[in-house]
Amino acid sequence: MRPLLKTAGALGLGLALTLSGCGDGDGAAAPFGGDTLRYVAVGAPATAINDPHGGIGNQSDLIRFALLYDVLTKPKPDGTTEYRLATSVTPDAALTSWTVRLRQNATFTDGRPVRAADVLFSLRRVHQKAAENFGRLQMFDMARSRAVDDHTLELVTTKPYAEAPRALESVTFVVPEGTTAFDKPPVGSGPYRMTRGTPQHAILERNDRWWGPKPATRRIEVRAVVDPQARAQAVVSGQADVAASVSPASARQAQGNENVKVVHRSGVVMYPFVMRLDRKPFDDPRVREAIKLATNRQELLDKVFLGYGKIGDDLLTPADPSSPRDISQRPRDVAKAKELLRQAGHGSSLNLTLSTTTSYPGMDTAANLFAQQLREAGITVRVKMEPPDTYWTKVFAKSDFYTGFFGGIPFLDVARVSLLGDAPTNETAWKRPAWDAGFDKALATKDERKRREEFGALQRQLRDEGGYVVWAVGDGLDLTSSRVADLPTGAGFESNFVERVRLTR
Amino acid sequence: MTTQVFGSAVLVPAARTALMLLLVSVAVFGATELLPSDAAQTRSGGRATAAAEAELRGRLGLDRPAWERYARWLARAARGDAGESLLTDRPVARMVAERLPATLTLAGCALAVAVPLTVALAWAVGTAPARRRGSLTMLVTALAAVPQVVFAAGLVALFAGVLAWLPPVSLVPAGGSPLDRPEILVLPTLALAIPAAAFGAGVLGGAVADAVRRPHVASAVARGVPGIRVAVRHVLPYLVAPAVRVFAVVTGGLLAATTVVETLFGYSGLGELLVSSIANRDVPVVQAVAMPVAATVLAGLFVADVLAVLTDPHRAERPA
Repeated sequence: MRPLLKTAGALGLGLALTLSGCGDGDGAAAPFGGDTLRYVAVGAPATAINDPHGGIGNQSDLIRFALLYDVLTKPKPDGTTEYRLATSVTPDAALTSWTVRLRQNATFTDGRPVRAADVLFSLRRVHQKAAENFGRLQMFDMARSRAVDDHTLELVTTKPYAEAPRALESVTFVVPEGTTAFDKPPVGSGPYRMTRGTPQHAILERNDRWWGPKPATRRIEVRAVVDPQARAQAVVSGQADVAASVSPASARQAQGNENVKVVHRSGVVMYPFVMRLDRKPFDDPRVREAIKLATNRQELLDKVFLGYGKIGDDLLTPADPSSPRDISQRPRDVAKAKELLRQAGHGSSLNLTLSTTTSYPGMDTAANLFAQQLREAGITVRVKMEPPDTYWTKVFAKSDFYTGFFGGIPFLDVARVSLLGDAPTNETAWKRPAWDAGFDKALATKDERKRREEFGALQRQLRDEGGYVVWAVGDGLDLTSSRVADLPTGAGFESNFVERVRLTR
Repeated sequence: MTTQVFGSAVLVPAARTALMLLLVSVAVFGATELLPSDAAQTRSGGRATAAAEAELRGRLGLDRPAWERYARWLARAARGDAGESLLTDRPVARMVAERLPATLTLAGCALAVAVPLTVALAWAVGTAPARRRGSLTMLVTALAAVPQVVFAAGLVALFAGVLAWLPPVSLVPAGGSPLDRPEILVLPTLALAIPAAAFGAGVLGGAVADAVRRPHVASAVARGVPGIRVAVRHVLPYLVAPAVRVFAVVTGGLLAATTVVETLFGYSGLGELLVSSIANRDVPVVQAVAMPVAATVLAGLFVADVLAVLTDPHRAERPA
């Protein structure tokens, strides 16, 4: 038997070695492609799209759309408005009709000029797809809005809406009027054009006919990668120049590496604990306050975001220009929390179940740590792990007590989706007609300073009485090679505009 | 080959394979159906009003009963039309086509390593003396039992971390093929091939042990027939059918494992697409990825069935 075994064994091994030759190399990074920026974005292949008007689930798609298509306006990192395709947005006295003037020199890459009709067509599509894009343009009455001439639009709001320019600072990606085929990327008028690739891995070349300042980088590759660790490793190993949204652990690891750097976008990641005001025991304001007082915010910030962020004070949009600035931080006070619970009739014990998931890095850690902290105030919390793929449809906006998520959206958007009485996901059951009326009143206030004060007062009331425990706001963390400069650092939509990013040296 | 033999050797297994494929499509559809939530909910992100979500569900046809949706899918699939994604309205065929080459390349490399490795390991297990066979079998079984993700992460830690020989992620070059940068294929290939080969060897090792212990093998060895000749003439005929069957199953396991390995390495193939499509309840995409995998495995088993009849060493002794 021996010789037989040896012969066959050697034969098999030899074959294995020969065939495994399909993967040998030196492991070094690919030669650098000159003035090509390789951007690895967050994105799952199943939701990659070419339609810029519906739900945009992938950051990789947003990045690509922001390069391919013009938007009317966009936010600047400091929160003010940057005019893009629009040159001005001005209201009538009633704040219900808005005149939008467009720049005259914008053209699609197929040579056609960008006209008001194209803009109106695109806005109407966004409006129609409300179910998929969180009702992004629901403040407008699109049937009554019209194109006045080739470069002027009249947009009508359903009620006085002083923040219309801000409502337009979002996904107003313009495609030619009448576009019906979205299985391929429709033609655009943005700073780049797509020359090759797929929605998951697009290759874009600079559009030299764009009206704006010439971008420094000739070519941008946008690639969608699901796994945050894989994104970070792509930059560390030299296979990419930018990795969007890496985990705090990856950012910390990269600190000792001189070939890479971490870019912080402050005010981006928030996992608030959500309490429903219409369910026991959270219907009692004393219970809500006790829980807020028992939270050790600094410890959560240090352990969940590894310190990359700012301590929270239950304000949902601390980076918004309208956020109240004159609030003193709520301190941790376990004794007072216990006293409030005793007054509320939970002196002996209070048992709660807190749901969480693993959709975003650290959500599970946050819930477990929070449960430990509440124990010190005599509250027993059972943490329930839920699968990430059903969390946002089965737990989010349905459970009494769970770990939520906000990704740096402005106050008006938070109000529209989660705070107003008719908001589709009023997750804390914050149903206060007086608050809603105050919101409408502020929107009808023309003076910006006064309007901000009114919005600020609404946010203060929500902080004191609402069902959100906002313990910290984490930084958005992007990892780049040390050659990358001018990556956007704004909190929200602004960070998707990468046409000014350049490679140094 | 007589008509009778052709019938029992080819037609019956072929019919069985076709039926199995149909059952697999029902099972995949049913399993996705049983998961909570649906594509309309995923698409609205849980943030649409009930009315808006119902309208979306109607537009996507998700308001129809499950059997009707399955029948519609089957009717279109029979005409070679994979339909559109429920999440993005994109043609499913294109979504699959964009990612198929990457997965075929990776799976091809993994098989090229796994098949000979399986043979070598199975031979080592099957021909080992009885006292060492137990420990060898245990080793192979233990290797096969390591979770795919742990095994892959271990490879990355060793070859990309400690030794820094190979890249830790495998991004396919822009507009090109993974073969343009073959080094990115090494770790995913090994991560797929080694556990698959260990599993295959565990199963095939038993067949080898049985085959080499047949009396006529011992007598051939006693007669002084050279080892290689014994292996080819007296052992291999008993192993062809079980080996093809094992390789069919190994291929299936390997393709299933691409879901984990591709995601871990950022390798944009079908496995990554399958994972996110299941998470989004995008049934047409799930079917379009799962069915070719199932078809590959079933085709392999079909070939094994045919070979079992054709290579049956006793067939010649029967009156044809």
